[in-house]
Amino acid sequence: MPESEALHAEHHLEYPYSRSVGPVIGAFLTGLRDGKLFGVTGAGGTVIVPPTEYDPTTGDDTGEMVEVGPGGVVESWAWVSHPLRKHPLQTPFAWALIRLDGADTAMLHVVDAGGPDKLATGDRVTVKYRPASERIGAMADIEAFVPEGGAGA
Amino acid sequence: MAERCAVIGVGQTHHKAKREDVSIAGLVREAAKAALADADLTWSDIDAVVIGKAPDMFEGNMMPEIYLAPALGAVGKPMFRVHTAGSVGGSTALVAAHLVKSGIHKRVLTVAYEKQSDSDAMWALSVPQPFAAPLLAGAGGYFAPHIRAYMRRSGAPEHIGRMVAVKDRQNAMRNPYAHLHLADIDMKMVEESMMLWDPLRYLEACPSSDGAAAMVLAAEDALSGQYPPAWIHGTAMRSEPTMFAGRDQVNPQAGRDCSADVYAQAGITNPREQFDCAEVYVPFSWYEPMWLENLGFCDLGDGWKLTESGATAFDGDIPWNASGGVLSSNPIGASGMLRFLEVAMQVRGQAGEHQVDGAKLALGQAYGGGSQFFSMWVVGSAKP
Repeated sequence: MPESEALHAEHHLEYPYSRSVGPVIGAFLTGLRDGKLFGVTGAGGTVIVPPTEYDPTTGDDTGEMVEVGPGGVVESWAWVSHPLRKHPLQTPFAWALIRLDGADTAMLHVVDAGGPDKLATGDRVTVKYRPASERIGAMADIEAFVPEGGAGA
Repeated sequence: MAERCAVIGVGQTHHKAKREDVSIAGLVREAAKAALADADLTWSDIDAVVIGKAPDMFEGNMMPEIYLAPALGAVGKPMFRVHTAGSVGGSTALVAAHLVKSGIHKRVLTVAYEKQSDSDAMWALSVPQPFAAPLLAGAGGYFAPHIRAYMRRSGAPEHIGRMVAVKDRQNAMRNPYAHLHLADIDMKMVEESMMLWDPLRYLEACPSSDGAAAMVLAAEDALSGQYPPAWIHGTAMRSEPTMFAGRDQVNPQAGRDCSADVYAQAGITNPREQFDCAEVYVPFSWYEPMWLENLGFCDLGDGWKLTESGATAFDGDIPWNASGGVLSSNPIGASGMLRFLEVAMQVRGQAGEHQVDGAKLALGQAYGGGSQFFSMWVVGSAKP
């Protein structure tokens, strides 16, 4: 027996929340549903993807929405050999920072490359959406990015 | 704290039940950009940002200051998040004021907000926590027994609460930013509204609002803006625990100590005579007579008589909550800052239709938790 015993209590908290996303992130998510990728112009004409309502360095309002992609360049990546149940893909994949064509910032998503020996920093990839009937306006509307030219799994 | 500090810019959103047109970042930026415009400044002119809101569980956005730093132009600058339950809007403004008064910063942006439509604050307040006394049915359920205790102590008649509910909603008709605009409000309508927590009826309780408030505070050598500065004559905050034996929740010691401190700094010996108006945190009607006594505007037991006489009405000798107060707009985290902001507007002469004629010196008060956090400031048109 331990000398002292801590008190324990069961506490299950379940609670509903909603989010209003505003005009900029709202336009980005609507674009995903429609199979289009959008960024926004920030200070000095840089294009920020995913778009923000404000320039992250100056705080000023951002400008026009601009279409980017569907292709881009892998800037950095990490291979997941044993996906967990909650991961977006159930086969081995890469988490990757992808700078879409026309963008000045990289966006985090997954690359379905088939194996770590088939992916390198600087590789070109392109977006692969879920079928239109399954898209809801969320990041997961993009199933994955795949190597340009279809070299993936 | 040798430096003088003044409010040089104010901004607030139109408070509504649901601001589904904006994100949380968009909401706080709406108020902040209005305050910067009022001060004739831009993001780059600001030295530091101080943000406040009520418990994170209200929106389920944990540590929102992390996500809001770039939204408030705080990249590369100091940023502080303040949290003192419902009084947080007031104590947030106080932290910002102290950064200027201490000589550390010249211009500080302070912002407070709540987006109640992202969840349901009443139930967020009511979640039973292990090893703690339950709060049960939200803030109203917590405060109603203290109101009954006040009525028993003071002999106040039942209609006093209804009078406050009507007065503050009539005041809100003069304030375009107020959430509630109840043109037909009268005693009968309040009396016929649903009993929520005896003796509080539906129309004696504050609404649930989305909204934000912001101010720019500046040192004496960094003044700018569209209106004259509102000089800060005193700042004070006091706290006490939620529950302990013998604690007086009707007339809390922390509130009395806080007002004594801020009055001493501002040279106030007779608040009813010296102040031209006050904005005081009254989320439930009966807190007007209770705080009239706690803040020393009258003798103990006489608060309800002051309300009944019309002294606190818009045309009375000491208007309380000319803006419509918390009873008309309640974006919780911002509600305290709105009290502080509204008195600054009054002494700057920028309150429009709810301007109290010739207001020169005014008290802003916020309270929070189980009547356990108090924050106050005194602002005036004259330099302290």
